[in-house]
Amino acid sequence: MARSGARAVGTTITALDRQAAGVSPRGSRRWSSIALVAPAVLIALFVVGGGIGFSLVQSLGLLPLVGEASLSLDAYLANGDDLVRGIGLSLAIATASTALSCIIGLTAALVITQGRSTGRLVAGLSAFTIPIPHLVGAASVGLLLSDAGIIPRILGIPGTEWPDIVGGSWWIAVVLEYTWKESAFVALVVAGVLASRVARYDETAALLGASRARRLRHVVIPLARPAVIVSAIIIFVYTLGSYEVAWLLGRPYPEPLPVLAFRLFTSITLTARPEAAAVAVVTTLISLAVVALGMAALRRTPLWK
Amino acid sequence: MTMMIPYGQRVTPDRQATSRSLMRPRPVGRAARIILSGMLALWFALPLVPLLLWSVANRWSFPAPLPTEWGFDGLGTALAQGGVEAFGRSLLLSLAVAAIATPLGAMAARALAVGSVPAPRLVSGILLAPLALPAFVAVMGLTVVLLRLRVPAIVGVLLLLVAAALPYTVYTMRVTYAAHDLAFEEEARTLGASRLQVLWRVHLPLVAPGLARAAFLSFLVGWSDYVITVLVGGGTIVTLPFLVGSFAAGVGNDAIVAVLSLSAIVPPLLLLLALGRFGRRYAGGTRTPSASPLARSEKGFL
Repeated sequence: MARSGARAVGTTITALDRQAAGVSPRGSRRWSSIALVAPAVLIALFVVGGGIGFSLVQSLGLLPLVGEASLSLDAYLANGDDLVRGIGLSLAIATASTALSCIIGLTAALVITQGRSTGRLVAGLSAFTIPIPHLVGAASVGLLLSDAGIIPRILGIPGTEWPDIVGGSWWIAVVLEYTWKESAFVALVVAGVLASRVARYDETAALLGASRARRLRHVVIPLARPAVIVSAIIIFVYTLGSYEVAWLLGRPYPEPLPVLAFRLFTSITLTARPEAAAVAVVTTLISLAVVALGMAALRRTPLWK
Repeated sequence: MTMMIPYGQRVTPDRQATSRSLMRPRPVGRAARIILSGMLALWFALPLVPLLLWSVANRWSFPAPLPTEWGFDGLGTALAQGGVEAFGRSLLLSLAVAAIATPLGAMAARALAVGSVPAPRLVSGILLAPLALPAFVAVMGLTVVLLRLRVPAIVGVLLLLVAAALPYTVYTMRVTYAAHDLAFEEEARTLGASRLQVLWRVHLPLVAPGLARAAFLSFLVGWSDYVITVLVGGGTIVTLPFLVGSFAAGVGNDAIVAVLSLSAIVPPLLLLLALGRFGRRYAGGTRTPSASPLARSEKGFL
């Protein structure tokens, strides 16, 4: 008697469950998931796909502002020298900024995860750096390092003897600004990983008698590597495609790719639009190649799930 | 063959003589650590010093290490040049980006976390893709389309900024939903709560810290953008970064650049502090002391 009652309750619950989930539970859940994910996917797809696609179409001369559409590679050849120089310069700036950011950021993360008062100070100041816009950082670095800046004032060096850090041929101020902002980013990401995952392994290794240097080399750095690689990819792609810092702290010639594209895009000549699009396509290709290389490096780390 | 170890004997070789104990202080290491921390602190703080000094300097002739005449002329000029309007415009734009990108990202992350989205890897890839595409490429490709469709500039700017913010909100909310237990919502449903009640009383409060982080990051995307507003708006949408850029590109505007830059730092900083307090109150002190509020999303802002 009791058993059949329990069975009846069980059947009722299953029936109610089915009713609540609709006629075919799996199908309706699938459709509601698609509806949830659709707006975000459509926007991302439109901006990324449309951005790359229409840049490509414009760069091939198929979508001119005025005149007939005709397929040609003229836009790529029109600024051949500038384009090649821009590629070299952009790659150099991005490589230097990424490498320096990773080294300084990793060091900062190690200091932060020591968890003492000095670590907290570094953690606070680096977190403070994160929300500052790059443009503001660039303006501030200019006020600090230009030949009338605060550093030459403090050091008492006259402007004529101060090296060309801002607007010089080595793009030092640009690299420094990127490194300043992005090292804080690396510190944040890596410190998060170190605090949550690595601490226990590090303690175990210490208890087993590993010295500090060995722990750093064989425990901490291997465990931090995936996070460092991911941040390096993000930084490289960002610095490769960022305009305002190189525009404000750089020199007029040669131009990095985004500055070149920006100048062509906003110029009065109508034929310059396809040329700007050609620079955009080249920048995209480099970005995608770097992302692919980075992902390959990431897959080779033993920790990648 | 196993070796028998007598009870109480040390298995590891006795290294007391050669290695230091873990708790023993190391004066050299301590000094090195303090110097290194000091250098890092200087590295992160130094670029902000000129902003603080110049914002209260009326005159600062060259060799002087400190301003030669203190005052608030920079602030006056900034106000006269439309600083307040630009500030308000930037604030509205960033809030709009956060208000759109956060729910969209949360919805997508929720669907991906429940696990019934077709081709989940492809979908995640598409949602993260804006991170790999330089903003100026998207602008240069889409301007033609937006112009032909007669989309107003501000709508175009919003669309591009929301797309740029989506990777952050989606990622943050995926981390949040990975730690979120759906059983709470099922429990509430079983107890007779309507779907709306579950959403409002159970689901949203449980993911609120994640939503706050996602909203903060998407706010930052809007707040620090320069290229998209300038290129799509064509100079008609005067935001705070636009003003900073145009003054910084000129000569002799140091004080006004400093004032505008400082005002561009304050709102996100206040939000960051609020986020920290919110997260601490919410988490009930379970956070590790060294991790900053952003660290939980394991990916901060660029």
